[in-house]
Amino acid sequence: MNLHSILSILVFSPLLGIIVLAIIPKAQEKAIKAVGFLATLPALLLSLAVYAHFLAGKNLSDFSVSVPWIQFRGINVQEPIFSVYYELGINGFQLLMVVLTSVISTLAAIGACKFIKKEWKGYFMLFLLLVTGMLGVFTAENLILFFIFFEVTLIPTFFLIGKWGYFEKEKAAYSFLIYNGLGSAVLLIVIMVLFAKTGTTNIEMLKQMVADPQLFKGGFKLGLFIALLVAFGVKLPIFPLHSWMLRVHVQAPPSVVMIHSGILLKIGAYGLIRFGMGIFPQQFEKLATLIAILGVINLLYGAFLAFIQTDFKMVLAYSSISHMGIVLIGLAAMNEAGIQGAIFQAVSHGLISALLFFLVGVLYERTDTSLIENLGGLAKGMPLAAGFLLAGAMASLGLPGMSGFVSEFMAFLGLFKVQPWIAAVGTIGIIMTAAYLLRAVLGMTYGKAHREFDGVLDLRGVELVPVFVLMALIVLIGVYPSVLSSPLQATLETIMLGLGG
Amino acid sequence: MENAWLIPLFPLLSFMILLLIGKRLREASAYVGILLTLASLVFSILVLFERFSEPSYLAKFNWLTIGDLHLTAGFEVNQLNALMLFIVSLVSFLVHTYSKGYMHGDERFHIFYAYLGLFTFAMLGLVISPNILQTYIFWELVGVGSFLLIGFYYYKEEAKAAAKKAFIMTRIGDVGLLIGMILLFWQTKSFEYSEIFNAVEAGGVSNTMITLTAILIFIGAVGKSGQFPLHTWLPDAMEGPTPVSALIHAATMVAAGVYLVAALFPLFTASKTALLTVATIGGITAIFAASIGLVQTDIKRVLAYSTVSQLGYMMLALGSAGYVAGVFHLMTHAFFKALLFLAAGSVIHAVHTQNIEEMGGLWKKLKLTAPLFLIGTLAISGVPGLSGFFSKDEILVAAWEGGHPVLFLLALIAAFMTAFYMFRLFFMVFTGEKRGKQKDVHESPSVMTMPMVLLGILAVVAGYVNTPWFGSFLGDWLVDGNPALGHSHIEGPAWIMIAATVVSLAGILLAYLIYGKRSIAPDWLSGKGDMLHTVLNNKYYIDEFYKLTVVAFVTGFSYLLRFIDVFLVEGIVKGVTGIVQGLGRTGSKMQSGQVQTYGAVAFLGLAVLVVIYALTGGYLR
Repeated sequence: MNLHSILSILVFSPLLGIIVLAIIPKAQEKAIKAVGFLATLPALLLSLAVYAHFLAGKNLSDFSVSVPWIQFRGINVQEPIFSVYYELGINGFQLLMVVLTSVISTLAAIGACKFIKKEWKGYFMLFLLLVTGMLGVFTAENLILFFIFFEVTLIPTFFLIGKWGYFEKEKAAYSFLIYNGLGSAVLLIVIMVLFAKTGTTNIEMLKQMVADPQLFKGGFKLGLFIALLVAFGVKLPIFPLHSWMLRVHVQAPPSVVMIHSGILLKIGAYGLIRFGMGIFPQQFEKLATLIAILGVINLLYGAFLAFIQTDFKMVLAYSSISHMGIVLIGLAAMNEAGIQGAIFQAVSHGLISALLFFLVGVLYERTDTSLIENLGGLAKGMPLAAGFLLAGAMASLGLPGMSGFVSEFMAFLGLFKVQPWIAAVGTIGIIMTAAYLLRAVLGMTYGKAHREFDGVLDLRGVELVPVFVLMALIVLIGVYPSVLSSPLQATLETIMLGLGG
Repeated sequence: MENAWLIPLFPLLSFMILLLIGKRLREASAYVGILLTLASLVFSILVLFERFSEPSYLAKFNWLTIGDLHLTAGFEVNQLNALMLFIVSLVSFLVHTYSKGYMHGDERFHIFYAYLGLFTFAMLGLVISPNILQTYIFWELVGVGSFLLIGFYYYKEEAKAAAKKAFIMTRIGDVGLLIGMILLFWQTKSFEYSEIFNAVEAGGVSNTMITLTAILIFIGAVGKSGQFPLHTWLPDAMEGPTPVSALIHAATMVAAGVYLVAALFPLFTASKTALLTVATIGGITAIFAASIGLVQTDIKRVLAYSTVSQLGYMMLALGSAGYVAGVFHLMTHAFFKALLFLAAGSVIHAVHTQNIEEMGGLWKKLKLTAPLFLIGTLAISGVPGLSGFFSKDEILVAAWEGGHPVLFLLALIAAFMTAFYMFRLFFMVFTGEKRGKQKDVHESPSVMTMPMVLLGILAVVAGYVNTPWFGSFLGDWLVDGNPALGHSHIEGPAWIMIAATVVSLAGILLAYLIYGKRSIAPDWLSGKGDMLHTVLNNKYYIDEFYKLTVVAFVTGFSYLLRFIDVFLVEGIVKGVTGIVQGLGRTGSKMQSGQVQTYGAVAFLGLAVLVVIYALTGGYLR
């Protein structure tokens, strides 16, 4: 098979599922669920194949594809002035994000089979569209294509939240749309300015052209960079742009939150690293202190607020804010350790939050509540679920031997080199993380049982698959971090080259 | 020694087996755990003997690559590591065996053994780590093992609170260790112990930095070893099953802080301030915890405060540059304190209470436990001839010769208190009339008493490996080939040994007069010094102090942030949605349906475009 077409197949394979779903009658619950799940598998297998290709020592650039797509031509001019290519490609960092996306998508499909109780057909069609959008985001090699895929993720998410969510789903969906819509509007402006100025949106070419002082003045670039920071800051989210994301975490169905917290938030991190740091390295450096402070604020703000929440979903929502602070902390270090820590954190948090939200979904399905005080003593009735919840919390609070530790450690290692005082303040977050997670998880699982668990069933059957897979990956990364770090080395070198270090 | 890496893996295997199929094995789980820790013990003994004759062994491989930094993992067998391997695997094996009787009939029997395996794995991994990062990794893992076992009776609110407290309190210390470790890394470019020492010795690190990192790392040790002011979790940790208290909260994990300071000893000796800090905290902790131990009425809590106090002794020794004394006491303490806890467990097993006021007169009923408990009590009190006597004497000498007369005095008073409260415990439990509701008091099964007998023998004889009378084998061996660790034996004036013996005997005598012979009323202290008694009984109100300061601050600050979140951030949200809605409204007003307006706007737009085209010549550049 031609390697150049692999990425396109990978990205668009979920669409095949949509076509099949379109001809299945609405009432065929089993068939719909089966198709929805199976349609995520080609992308999973292909992404693992690409990873295997890398492990075999071959070049990831084998997969790049670039064909002319849209061109604007002057009346008398032969050469197109503005041309947009259809270009997909993959480097080590993108590879990790693609693998993460495909793994979590498959598991979220399993989750959806469990948690979604109505209109499966519409759900899975939107879900598969969302998967294509996410895979596209991480493989797009130019900004226009990136933007299109980025928008493709927004719309299905809006409907998935608004239709299948909990009580305040509409409100959550609208605040999701408004915030992200504004974010992408800002992003679009940046992209268009770059396009108009340089005539290209190819990321590699932009890196060189933006560095050209003839084309861009320093102050102007700083403005563009700040715009990017805002655009992706909404997504990450950076304080104080976070409130939309709390609502989504609480109101969206668990299988959507697995995707949302697991992958969609990471688009913010991805954008900051690939475009922010990649295209505007000097500007990033100028604002590094500010970003470090923002990171510490995120980390502490999320942690302190998580400490007093009564709803476990809210604890996890604030915990996401807190953990995304670590991404910023790592990036602000501007050295290998920090950046690698940030990328590790993106992957690690994706896995951990997917695991925790899956478990929340299970608990909610059984008990109709996610309030901590209503759930006390869960370990008695649901020992497996309680055990995995505790293990997930341990991973989240950065227990060595699990992925959270490696990323947290590297991010702090990086920042301590350049900003020891800011980093030292940030370490309070490490203590607070333990405090709020244990308070919440022990509150739910330990202590006297607040209810009869007679009819309540523990994790069983197919529910164990996502839990085991995610746990295994979390431990694998924690024990043998080279699975992530070896694909990253080449990407890191490129970034460091751009930073001039 | 090349195969020493297998030692931690046996208990890990036990953990995994029991997690997967423990439920089906039921109480046969014990055999899995016992056999696999026995394998660890056998290997540890082999390694220890090999290390007597061969040089240290180090192996490492690449663990994590960050750009051009290569972090390694591996294992090292040096004197300290080999000794620790032996202590940990021995106590763990004995506790595994003992638990078979103690935990009999528990619903989650296999889980208990699984957790024991996890903890033993982490602890053994900790003591063979060749670099500080790996030490930190296992350091956290032992913390989890401890957390899980403290909270083993998860349905009890006290156990839940104690587990949470233990985890968070030690984590406060761990953050100090983490920061110290990272700062040290950027100074020396390495996490390897040997390279750190080389860099420090070569003067590559500034004095301020050495002091700062050493103290930060010591904060980690303070948390783990229950030193003042992070000690409050350790007495609460007694909520865990008693064998766990023996293994984790007496013999091994809590000694990890002492081990850490010992492992990094060359770093500490490079800074006078750091050493003084260690010695002072150790000395304060020793007397502080001993004084609380005087009035406690829960058998396990008395032992817990005694552990805190003894760990303070070890820190005092290390801080006074008495490397050998500290490590020596670590070893003897592991034996006699594990013995005391297991014996206490045997008592609790028999009478089903932990309150010593409901015990009494058990000497005749517990024919084996009682003498064994007495041996442990004699050893910890420092009665001549038993192991505790020799190691405590080394510490007192080290403190005196280290030039800390005040700390020496504190340690001496603490030794008196130790003898007193330990014999108070002994007399109240085993002599006198029976109190409370004691029914069917039986001696424990032999699976429980045999480990105690073995520990009892060790509690007597372990001291003779390092005595001023017969030679300091242990000391010579420990510092062999490593001058940075100081002398193998510190010569001190003879009166120190006599003084130590006198205070110890005086403590025992006083305890006998009050609680044995009862010629002094037991409420003598509480009668005379009411205030003092209340303060001691409430453990100097440290918990209350934390509740009023740290906990209140964190909660208050959280609510303040919530206020910001609700009003300020949501305010921004309202602003944003307001703008969007406003725009929408304006937009919809435009859709008036009047063709004239549409035409005018279109014409205006065209005019603007034409003007732009005319001005720029067609291109926006």
